[in-house]
Amino acid sequence: MSDAVLTETEATGAAPAHTTSTGISNEKLAMWVFLGSDCLLFGALISTYLLLRHRSTTPPFDPAEVFDIPFTSVSSFVLLMSSLTMALAVGAIHRGDVRRCRTWLLTTALLGATFISGQVYEFSGFKNEGLGYTTNIFGSAFYTLTGFHGAHVSVGILFLMSLFVMSLRGKLDASKAETVEIFGLYWHFVDIVWILIFTIVYLIP
Amino acid sequence: MAIVERPSPPALQLPAGPQVAPRPLGAFTRPSATTGWKSWLTTIDHKRIGIMYGASALFFFIIGGIEALLIRLQLTSPQGKLYSADLYNQLFTMHGVTMIFLVVMPLGAAFMNYLMPLQIGARDVAFPRLNAFSFWVFLFGGIFLNTSWFLGGGADGGWFAYAPNTGVTFSPGHGMDFYALGLQITGIASLVGSINLIVTVLNLRAPGMTLLKMPVFTWMGFVTQMLLVFAIPVISVALFLLTFDRLFGANFFNPAAGADPLLWEHLFWIFGHPEVYILILPAFGIVSEIIPVFSRKPIFGYPFMVASGIAIGFMGWGVWAHHMFASGIGPMSVAAFSLSTMFIAVPTGVKILNWMATMWGGRLRFTTPMLFAIGLVTMFTIGGLSGVTHAVAPADTQQTDTYYIVAHFHYVIFGGALFAFMGGFYFWWPKVFGYVLDDRWGKWHFWLQLIGFNLTFGPMHILGLQGMPRRQFTYLPGYGFEFWNRVATVGAFIIALSVLVFLINVAKSTRAHLANPVPVGPDPWDARSLEWMLPSPTPAHNFDTVPTVTHLDEFWHRKYQEDETGRVTRARPTDEVAQKGDAADVHLPSPSYWPIVMAAGLPLIAYGLIFNLGIAAVGGAIVLLGGFAWGLEPADDPERAHSHAAHGDGHGEGDGDGDGAGEGDGAGDGQESPEEPAAVSAGEGEGAEGDDS
Amino acid sequence: MKRILRPRFAWVMPLLLLMTACAQDAPQDTLQPRGPIARDIDNLSDPVFLVAGVVFVIVEFGMLFLLWRFRARKDDDPDSAPAQIHGNTKIELGWTIGPALILTPIAFFTIVTVFAIQAKADDATMTVEVIGQQWWWEYRYDTDDDGEADIITANDLIIPAGQTIELDVQSRDVIHSFWIPALNGKKDAVPGRTQGLTVEADEPGTYVGQCVEYCGLSHSYMRQRLIALPESDFEDWAAHQREDAQMPTSGDALAGAELFQTTCSNCHLARGINDEQHADALEQNDGRVLTVPGSAPDLTHFASRGAFAGAMFNLWVTENPDGVVQWDEIGGELNREELEAWLRDPPGQKPMDAVLDSPDSRGMPNYNLSEDQIDLLIAFLETLD
Repeated sequence: MSDAVLTETEATGAAPAHTTSTGISNEKLAMWVFLGSDCLLFGALISTYLLLRHRSTTPPFDPAEVFDIPFTSVSSFVLLMSSLTMALAVGAIHRGDVRRCRTWLLTTALLGATFISGQVYEFSGFKNEGLGYTTNIFGSAFYTLTGFHGAHVSVGILFLMSLFVMSLRGKLDASKAETVEIFGLYWHFVDIVWILIFTIVYLIP
Repeated sequence: MAIVERPSPPALQLPAGPQVAPRPLGAFTRPSATTGWKSWLTTIDHKRIGIMYGASALFFFIIGGIEALLIRLQLTSPQGKLYSADLYNQLFTMHGVTMIFLVVMPLGAAFMNYLMPLQIGARDVAFPRLNAFSFWVFLFGGIFLNTSWFLGGGADGGWFAYAPNTGVTFSPGHGMDFYALGLQITGIASLVGSINLIVTVLNLRAPGMTLLKMPVFTWMGFVTQMLLVFAIPVISVALFLLTFDRLFGANFFNPAAGADPLLWEHLFWIFGHPEVYILILPAFGIVSEIIPVFSRKPIFGYPFMVASGIAIGFMGWGVWAHHMFASGIGPMSVAAFSLSTMFIAVPTGVKILNWMATMWGGRLRFTTPMLFAIGLVTMFTIGGLSGVTHAVAPADTQQTDTYYIVAHFHYVIFGGALFAFMGGFYFWWPKVFGYVLDDRWGKWHFWLQLIGFNLTFGPMHILGLQGMPRRQFTYLPGYGFEFWNRVATVGAFIIALSVLVFLINVAKSTRAHLANPVPVGPDPWDARSLEWMLPSPTPAHNFDTVPTVTHLDEFWHRKYQEDETGRVTRARPTDEVAQKGDAADVHLPSPSYWPIVMAAGLPLIAYGLIFNLGIAAVGGAIVLLGGFAWGLEPADDPERAHSHAAHGDGHGEGDGDGDGAGEGDGAGDGQESPEEPAAVSAGEGEGAEGDDS
Repeated sequence: MKRILRPRFAWVMPLLLLMTACAQDAPQDTLQPRGPIARDIDNLSDPVFLVAGVVFVIVEFGMLFLLWRFRARKDDDPDSAPAQIHGNTKIELGWTIGPALILTPIAFFTIVTVFAIQAKADDATMTVEVIGQQWWWEYRYDTDDDGEADIITANDLIIPAGQTIELDVQSRDVIHSFWIPALNGKKDAVPGRTQGLTVEADEPGTYVGQCVEYCGLSHSYMRQRLIALPESDFEDWAAHQREDAQMPTSGDALAGAELFQTTCSNCHLARGINDEQHADALEQNDGRVLTVPGSAPDLTHFASRGAFAGAMFNLWVTENPDGVVQWDEIGGELNREELEAWLRDPPGQKPMDAVLDSPDSRGMPNYNLSEDQIDLLIAFLETLD
């Protein structure tokens, strides 16, 4: 019976190649599935925003009067660049270049933090101009949507810093390349969601 | 298995004397107990987790059942004065929430967790610790939700929680906060569990187990997980919006601020409709396992059974607004959703007919599991047919929000899902626990449940068509509602009796088994799928050797030979085919504290958001630190191969396994000592606690 | 012999449905249409019920047949099994396409009916605003089409029989649902939206319904009555409703009116009686009366209605003690007992979150009236016909 073949394989102790039925590692597949569910999360939030943004009964009534597109474009660019540095980090670790990977990881985290700082600055400005979380329905929807995105970015920065610290302690090497790559998937997803949000919320009237 | 010895690189040799190498990240060792109550708290074994889901679900079933009996008592007579309208509103809300989220969903999870890895020939799920985490999060969420009874009152907005009635203005108590946060917590459990099981099914199948050789139960479970993974985020958003309104003054459901309450309805039902398929598909899967076994025939039309399940999964996303035919969505939407709702009956009808065709020409054995499976087929048909009558939107404008709907969904969820789960209990009990439940008591259970169920919910069709609305704490005389309400109350108590019979059966059969254990053998029913190839109860390591699969119903085909005409002859006796369960060298992932610890942080966050932010901060810290500890805890086996699929234990950074040594190298189940990693790796700085090859 | 499943109640179901259709004492029966739209619905759903019944019989009796015909016999060889048929693609395709074909005409007629019912709104001769709030229904008519409501009533919705009436269903607080089963399906009252529901009664008569979307404490006690009148009677009714109430001139009724002015003006308006006091109360409270969401039933012609307190209690004694007040019983013998009980302690009669002098109060609070005060008020209220 062909069961014996497997037993033999086990017995020699030879490490089988990735024996997953799809050929993708469990962790990577899990990340893809999770990102799929996150699409629905942001989909629901974006739909909510789209439905509610022009329905405020108290000012500010029009999102366009509040937004500063040039500023947000710059911070969007920053986030976009962080995806580039993330990709560079993944490339570095695949080559076994731990130091360079570490540098790019830190850069990505810093760019992400810059983006978040930009949002904080931007939102305090809005608040001063009279758009708070509870001011009207546009405020609630806008801050909730961007807030969830910001939370995703922040969790990402936390993870990046963990990877960075790990690499300082020498625990990040080419064998861990897939971990970095899987995190990269998450980071790129968060960036893509921002592109969507920026377009739908800021650019399209 | 074999320990491959390699010399340590000389440059990294440690001086003798006290240890100077840094301890591995992760200060705590992993627990090692495999018996005793503590081992259940730290277990990551999918089988134990499945058992815990089942036990918890039964506990909540009793709570939800008591809530139901209280409802029925109040409605026995017109103008009942048993309790206030306020308490009644809490009762029906909590009854619905409990039964759906804390009973039927975890019952499905129980069976799916226990069986899916076995049915695909795997040793566990892809992420065992995550699996344990899911369970504890669910349990703590369910307990959290029910503590509302003692902390100001249960939720009272209905299980569907329509805004703005559920906002602070109209529901000023804490009940709805418990609802929103409690369901958020249980939603996390479901979401995480679904990711786990999807990866499991896609990645951990035994050699030869193509997707189209998986048992129907596993297929239905897989579709269920796909539904969960996309539906849970939507209700998550709805619950977040409600929570932000209630706790932080947001305006999402404040009509004065311009909100549209229909937003809640849409978000809720976009989740809510796939949710009902989440409830029923595992039950369909169970029936698809039971009927072939007790008809001694394979499932009729396996490809159609799988395809119809997938079709239901897809089409289920396109029907949600049939819950909103009277909400004012406009005739175009009404027409469209009416159409889609009608046609989703087609794949379900295929299943009913295929089950009946399985029985056709079979040799039917009316064991208790078979009776319950037949119960689903007959009762779900009734519920499905009333569902088709609702699909006719104009008719639904008369039926919706009346007891006719209450009848419909109880026929499909109770008459459908719950009957199947009861059948599943009797069917798989020997596999899980090593002895059968008494079949005579089982039959009493079945008949009492069938009669009680029909007496309770059958008349509700009439009550609804006579115009009795739902969610009524009382009704007036003179409307024709008295008689059938009385009948329904009697029926409800017969159901309660049947549940009692079930519990007595469990107690009696267990006691009889403990007094006089008779091994039940691997295959008491002469069944078809892989789990029956293993000893009963299933050994901790599942399979001695992972089987190579060549057929659908692989186990059956090892026992019997089939020619082209479908005629069957016995090929091998069962005890030759079944595995002995005595493999001593299978590596199992170690138990872990962190799933339950991290899970405990979540209700703390929830209590904190309601009562005191300090508590929330503590909860958040527990979750955060628990998460780090989880990721950094020592690997259960430092010499294990990196990312070996058949183990699939979650790899965090710092798990510290190198690549190289083969899997299952005799380290046993998690009995390593903390010094072992350092000694073996001789300098763990390079992240390879195993040997570098 | 193994016991065979006998779903005992299988045969009962069609019988029960039949019984439903013939129910006498069922004023909210959905299967006895009294208007053209309800009849359209019934004409569509009756054949669907029939088809469902036929499928039911086929499946359930088919199952019974299978259970009997293919039961295992005692002498079956345990090592053998019947022929292992794996499927039959033709048959399965058949019973995939077959049900779809059966559903197709149902789908077609459903869509036709949806749009037909929608189109009936265009035939409306009159529009009435139907506004739900916790826990009663208000009706506003604009009979002279000047954009302002000139008739504001509650509980009893009066319409001319034989005419198509469009209801603009709205809500002032949470989601409610307006439903008169004899005349049409239901339509939700959603705050912030106006949704149309068309009704037409074949014959004059009294038709009842209940709020049918969970709306809080007194959801079960929020009811509505619709009375269809012959056209001329309706005109008379409308003309009378447009008039203000008459201030009583003497006796208990006058004392009651004065009490009404001081005690009830916070929330209730009776035009011609307490216009000033009600306006003052509104002003004092920033335009918001001391209830959420803001108003109580207009009582100008209170005694012209058949029921009170959200149509929960009969205002007049009925022939059938459990019955519904008919049009010709209005103005007959007053149901004093229930009216007194209400005035004595409203939250005791109907669950409400009503607290005296609280801005968050919902529903009518307990004013701790003495028995004498109650008698005076009732004497006054009787004059508001």
